[in-house]
Formats: sequence, C-alpha cells, structure tokens
Amino acid sequence: MKTVSSLLDDNWYQRYKRISKLNIRSSIYDVTNRCNLRCQGCFFFSSGEHKAAVEEMGIKKWEGFIDREKERGVNLAILIGGEPTLCLDRVEAFYKQLPTFCATNGLIKVPRDRFPDMMVGISLWGDEEDEKVLRGKDTFAISSKNYEGDPYTYYLYTITPKQIGKTQRIIKKISDAGLKVHMQLLSNDEGVDGFFWKPEELKDLRAEMDDMLDQYPDTVISSKYYHEIITTGRMLGRKFGWMECPSVTQPLDKRNPQPKRLIEFIRWASDLKTMHRCCTSATRNCSTCKDGAAHMSWVMVNKRAHIRTPKDMQNWIEVYEMFAKLYQFIPW
Amino acid sequence: MSVSTDTQEIIINIAKIMINELKLEDVTPETFDPDIDLIDEVGIDSMDLATVALVLQDKYGMKIDEDDYPKLTTIRLIAKYVEGKL
Repeated sequence: MKTVSSLLDDNWYQRYKRISKLNIRSSIYDVTNRCNLRCQGCFFFSSGEHKAAVEEMGIKKWEGFIDREKERGVNLAILIGGEPTLCLDRVEAFYKQLPTFCATNGLIKVPRDRFPDMMVGISLWGDEEDEKVLRGKDTFAISSKNYEGDPYTYYLYTITPKQIGKTQRIIKKISDAGLKVHMQLLSNDEGVDGFFWKPEELKDLRAEMDDMLDQYPDTVISSKYYHEIITTGRMLGRKFGWMECPSVTQPLDKRNPQPKRLIEFIRWASDLKTMHRCCTSATRNCSTCKDGAAHMSWVMVNKRAHIRTPKDMQNWIEVYEMFAKLYQFIPW
Repeated sequence: MSVSTDTQEIIINIAKIMINELKLEDVTPETFDPDIDLIDEVGIDSMDLATVALVLQDKYGMKIDEDDYPKLTTIRLIAKYVEGKL
C-alpha cells in the first residue's frame, strides 16, 4: 500500500501534516436577495435565485440559525448573496460565531473595527472595459480604494475570454494596491456574446495563469494544478460534471453512486429554510461549469486518488494549501 | 449475526471493511499495519471515516460518535473503541 510519507520528502510531508487534520466543513449562505449591482452573468439573478425565498429579516432568527449551523459541525461560513455588506448585522452574527468569509463587490467597505480579521473576497470581472459591459461600472476603482493594503482581503478575479493576454496588468494593479488575488473563470450563465470559452483559449489561459503565479508569487494565491483542473475540467483522467461535483447540498444529493463530496455541505437561501442544489446555479450546465471553489473542492475531497506519485501528492497539497490560505486556515 | 469480540479479530474486520469500502489497493487485512496513522499515512479523510463507521455500526450494533473521529487515527485505536462499546 502506498503511504503519504513514502511519496514525499520531509519538507513536503511537513506541509502535508500541517493541513491533513484541518477537516474544513463549509457551507454557503445567501445573506440577502438584494444587491447594489446587477451584473450580466451573475448566476444568482440570472437563474432567479433571488426570488427563491423570502428573505428572513429578524436578526434573532439569523442568530438562532447560526447556532444550529455551528452545532451541525460547520466551521467555515461562506457568505454570498446578493451583496452581504448590505446586511452587516447578519454578517456580524456569523462572524461572532464562526470563521467567516464574506464575498462582496467591494463597493461598501467592511468596517474593520467590527470585523478586524474577517476574510473578504472582492469580485472582479475582467478589466475596466469588461466590468463596464458586464457590471455597468468599473468596480475596481472603488473597491481598491476601500480595501487598499488590507491584509485580510483578496480579489476574486473572474477571468473572461477577453482577458487573455491582458491579465498581467490587472494582477499588477492588485499588487500595487497591496492586495492578493485568486483567479477563476467566468461561466457566462447568461450567454453574453463574446464571453464563451473556446478550447484553444482555455489552453492559452492556463499558460498565462501559470505565468502570473511565477511572476507574482506574493500576490497570486493559486497553484498550477488548479489552473490545469479549472481550464481542462479534468483530474486524473476524470471529467468534472454532475456525477463528480463535491459541492452539492447534502440533503438534496440523491446521486448514486455517491461521489466523494463535502460533508454536510448546504447552500442556504436567505429565508434560512430553502436549500439551493449546489454552490452555484441549479440552471448551470455542470459539464461546462467553471466554478473555482467546486473544482478546488473536487481535488481536495479526492486525496486518496492522489496518493499515486510524488507529483500527484504534491499537486494535491498545493491545492489544499491554496484553499486553506483563501479561507485563513493557514497564513498566506 | 454473532460477531467476534476478540481484539485481533476486530482489527482484521476493520481492516477488511476499510479495504472493501475504500477500495484500498496493495494491502490485505493481514498485512494492514494496525498502528499506521490512517490520516497522515493512508490519506483517509472524515468522509472515509464516516463510511467505515456506518459499516462498523451495523456490524457491531454500536454507535461511533462523530466527535470521536479525531481520536480514531489507527485501526488499533478504532478496535479498542469498538471493544469498549460492546
């Protein structure tokens, strides 16, 4: 039987041991159905999820719900929306009880006196031109001022097909603002013209993402194996899709056979009762889904499949470390 | 169905369950080191442990508390835990 230590030198084995017992159990919460932007390609609005449930307005109900989530074993709350910063009392209720990550468009600054070390991920969709087309405004100009130099904030840079050959300028702007960045790919749920991926573009993008990681190792939080997985949709000869995805809400998961999956994962709607099918839109085609967290999790839950060669195991460690850094389980 | 409560047999049974349920290769119940660290060396995660725990619970008619998973890092420790619950 192959063992982990037989595949790794001492340095890699120590890195492995640092993460092997983290046992991260995340769930995702729609904090609100409202947003201060309406972006073309945002799955929350394009798939009607903002109308899936009537938002719970009582903060006591949120607090009780969060207590139950904690009892359920959740140790990472991922807050999305809508725009969570429109409801800071709810964000605070999570933050007081659980390690919390808040996804935001960055237009409203999370007050650090109330949330001193909460991880914040700012969405960024391409460059200024793409942002104006897809989101109606250049959000970076505002968000980078709001969060300049913040040690607990990074950009979630959603790369579009129009960004190929142009990512370096964006990464440099983020670096100059004293922030980190994690790269992911647009899934184009609303079918905006010119924003679909072609296979050759994905190949070029993978090389470019690798380059960015090499050029900006202190800014880019990523790994080359993640770039491979997200651009090819393949891992160890397997293809990503519905029967492989780990990020399906557990009580709704009737797949047979059950793939390796996130334990107790639920994506909750803002009524605190309704569950969404998965971490993204139920209307999305799973075979072309580019969700970064789902692909990362796909690698992470398939640890034993990577106990094959030293390189496979190192790849797994790098992806797990990347995830753990993004959610502050280990330092940058 | 009656099951043996002898420690060594419990160890072999747990090894069999792990090999079958987790599809472990290049190991037999007899060669599976009962003291090898299941997480740090075999790469078992909490979902694997939950899978094994369900089968053990059926076989031995006892419950493995999820809060106890972190303590169950080797087959021998799992066997002692099972033995203590019988």
